[in-house]
Amino acid sequence: MEKNKMNRREFFKKGLQALFGLAIAGTTGFSLFKTSATETVWQIDPDICIQCGRCAENCVLSPSAVKCVHVYSICGYCDLCSGYLRTDPKELSTGAENRLCPAGAMTRRYVEEPYYEYVIDESLCIGCGKCVKGCSAFGNGSLFLQIRHDRCVNCNECSIARECPANAISRISSRNPYIMKGAKI
Amino acid sequence: MDNRIISISGVFLTALAGTLLIFWWLGSGLQKDFFLFVPGLDGRPERVQVQEKTTPIGFYFENYQGIPSTLSGQWPRFRGPGYDNTSRDTVPLIDRFPAGGPEILYRIDLGEGHAAPAVSNGCIYILDYDEEKKGDALRCFSLDDGKEIWRRWYPVTVKRNHGMSRTVPAVTERYAVSIGPKCHVMCVDAHTGEFLWGIDLEKEYDATIPQWYTAQCPLIDNDIAVIAPAGKSLLIGVDCASGKIVWETPNSNAYKMSHSSIISATIDGVDMYVYAALGGISGIAARGSEQGKILWTTNAWDNAVIVPSPVILPDGRIFLTAGYGAGGMMIRVQKTEGQFKTEVLYKTKPREGLCCEQQTPVLYNGHLFGILPKDAGPLRTQFVCYHPDGQMIWSSGSGRQFGLGPYLLADGKFFILNDDGVLVIAQATLERYEELDRARILHGRDAWGPLALAGGRLLARDTRQLVCINLSAEKGK
Repeated sequence: MEKNKMNRREFFKKGLQALFGLAIAGTTGFSLFKTSATETVWQIDPDICIQCGRCAENCVLSPSAVKCVHVYSICGYCDLCSGYLRTDPKELSTGAENRLCPAGAMTRRYVEEPYYEYVIDESLCIGCGKCVKGCSAFGNGSLFLQIRHDRCVNCNECSIARECPANAISRISSRNPYIMKGAKI
Repeated sequence: MDNRIISISGVFLTALAGTLLIFWWLGSGLQKDFFLFVPGLDGRPERVQVQEKTTPIGFYFENYQGIPSTLSGQWPRFRGPGYDNTSRDTVPLIDRFPAGGPEILYRIDLGEGHAAPAVSNGCIYILDYDEEKKGDALRCFSLDDGKEIWRRWYPVTVKRNHGMSRTVPAVTERYAVSIGPKCHVMCVDAHTGEFLWGIDLEKEYDATIPQWYTAQCPLIDNDIAVIAPAGKSLLIGVDCASGKIVWETPNSNAYKMSHSSIISATIDGVDMYVYAALGGISGIAARGSEQGKILWTTNAWDNAVIVPSPVILPDGRIFLTAGYGAGGMMIRVQKTEGQFKTEVLYKTKPREGLCCEQQTPVLYNGHLFGILPKDAGPLRTQFVCYHPDGQMIWSSGSGRQFGLGPYLLADGKFFILNDDGVLVIAQATLERYEELDRARILHGRDAWGPLALAGGRLLARDTRQLVCINLSAEKGK
């Protein structure tokens, strides 16, 4: 018992070490918190976006950092999908003449009668928003455009934000870098 | 001469180089990364025929405690007594909702969908989908209190696909006819619910169930149920009493069933049924020895999806409209030298003229009223008034948008329901959009089912609930 007894010198030494450690941890944590709270990124508000197609052309990256994203909980899984098929398609098939996406970035798969699943291949998507326009006009609006932060270089002045006619692009907190549509069903 | 040889040699060498380049490219394997977008990549099966249970249409019946109302007023079918979405009732209706809000009389929970009611002799008829029992159920309620009187149903598997139910039954003094989401036609005694006959249009007439299920509403004309299978036959006439097929219209153009409904019309003194199928629109003789014969047909109106029904105007004009990018079209049908001929008067895109996606426009005072679709540009989802020549008279304005909701005309006023269940009362006038009042009557989503009005009582629904509100301006009614 006597061996484990701490003398006054050791007590002050260990106490100071602990206090120093806590001060470093606290300062680091506070700095991290402060940085992430104030750091912002560019993002598109899907409720304001008018799918004009300028995101595909004005990004400093090629192809654009803007991609179509799909919220499956909103999707109707329709056979006649206005985001996948052109207006008044010849037939409801995967033939190129019926498809809306100019980059072939959207594929569909028969699930079961009457449902089809639609998947975006982001490596092919150019962010033109044609599918989003079709889905918004006649469908549930499950497709929408977002700036993907794995690609975006977060320019000081975003060139697509500058060109956006609807002012749909603004800086938002990097803690919640996407504006996702909620489930409507 | 030398120049000619040089030119010929140049062309020859270029052609040779080009040919060699093509062969090199084909042999190099560079095109292996190309991907052909051809039909069939999605694994779509040839044709899915879901094996239904063998229980016949109309097999089950349940009786309840409701009693038919003694209230007057009829809304016996889709688009009301005159196929024009205009009430014939003489009951004066309110201009504004009471200070305490709309007078809600009762609410009825329904299966998910857009099926809407018909009202006849104090009874409400609606072809509901019972999600628990998994069956189409023709339900009869009292207009007084919304209590159920009887229910006749049959099992049918329907998966959620933008709702399940969609149609409005047709009811006469004796018969009630319904069409289910999967093309099951059923006729029952309108009073007792006794089953009379049923037809499976998919099995018996090779009909194709449209995208998002059947939305065609049946028509009863002189106790003949007029149905459009658009399969082996384009139209059929079925005797309501016996279920016998009285006449059939051959479908030589291989038209397909649309969401549009058959409308009665009289053009150049000839009674006919007008049906806008996928593939084309036709006029079919409704009377005499030629009953069931195609009087005229044109493929000038052919769209992937057609929901609104044709609007019959004077002088043989028929206004056609559809959403999904289609727009509107005015045609004229005229009898010349004993033959009916059609002529396209104008065609407009959704941004250029009157276009409706789900609801059929209303003709009032020589003008067309409707709600524009979401692809109509700055006027999107606004309530509008158009002259039949294609000129817009007024729109409701950017702050007054309605989505895909239904509307009807009664007592000189439009009653318009928006997607979110807000009911608007607007003066029916050619001068301007004049909103009188608005109030929320439903709290669900997608309030798209057509409205019905009888005895001063308005029936409206969202995807889950039917509501009855009192619009009568007479106290105590």
